[in-house]
Amino acid sequence: MSEGMETRVIMISPSSHITPDQLTRMIHMSGKKVTVKETCYGCLVEGPSETVREIRDEIRNLDPNGIFSKVRAYPCGDQRRCRAKHGTRPGYAQLETEWKALSYIKIGLDASNRGEKPKEVTQKKQLSVTKFKKICEVG
Amino acid sequence: MKVFIDPPNSMILFDLVERFGHEPLCAMIALREMVNNTEIDMPPMNISLDDVVKGLKYAGIEVPSGIRGRLAVWGPLIEEADAAIIMEDAPFAFGCVGCERSNQMVKYLIKKRGIPVVHVSYPENEEQGKLIVSKIKEFFEKLKEIS
Repeated sequence: MSEGMETRVIMISPSSHITPDQLTRMIHMSGKKVTVKETCYGCLVEGPSETVREIRDEIRNLDPNGIFSKVRAYPCGDQRRCRAKHGTRPGYAQLETEWKALSYIKIGLDASNRGEKPKEVTQKKQLSVTKFKKICEVG
Repeated sequence: MKVFIDPPNSMILFDLVERFGHEPLCAMIALREMVNNTEIDMPPMNISLDDVVKGLKYAGIEVPSGIRGRLAVWGPLIEEADAAIIMEDAPFAFGCVGCERSNQMVKYLIKKRGIPVVHVSYPENEEQGKLIVSKIKEFFEKLKEIS
């Protein structure tokens, strides 16, 4: 991949009504010279940085707070990472974990757009040593 | 403004920083240069001896090589950053956070640099999701006022 090229992971929030197929079709229909690969979580887009960013902004119009993206280090279909070539995918566990949390971020972004102020969440406190000792003694 | 994110390959933080109009400094961009650099050919990731030596700037020789290797990639990003966002209590599978010692070193390096930092917790419910977005938004608004 030459300089000035960018690969981007586009991920759809689980609470979004958009499908990976819709995303891919829209990018194909835009007629821009990029490589698109449909995936189970969204799609991969590869091309000149500026064009990829334009596409990111365009597809965000479909669901502004439900489509997320990040840059990817490896190009599309790279043999070191592509499943078709038996590459390893260490990033999948992380993508899956983050995908679950995206719906909470979508709710957060929606609330922020409405100007809502969040309630203070009480953090779980650590168990004190004396209380822990009492529990152990009972056992 | 260049913002370092921790975990450095988090999609949530990368996306939020971009949404609020700033440049995220993340592991993917640093690794992309290594992966795609065809001048040196040391597959799979073009890690050379120089990269290992770079890590020594951020962690001593007695520190395990995995931590030094991570810091060789993340250290220059922290040096370049104008601000940082740290996500606490991320689950084990959340990016390359499997190493708690690396995380502690990253927090130490950020503190040592003295740049503005915001700490957020990993979202586990709707309220926490709202809190993260509002905290990050407020952080950037305050930074804008200062600068």
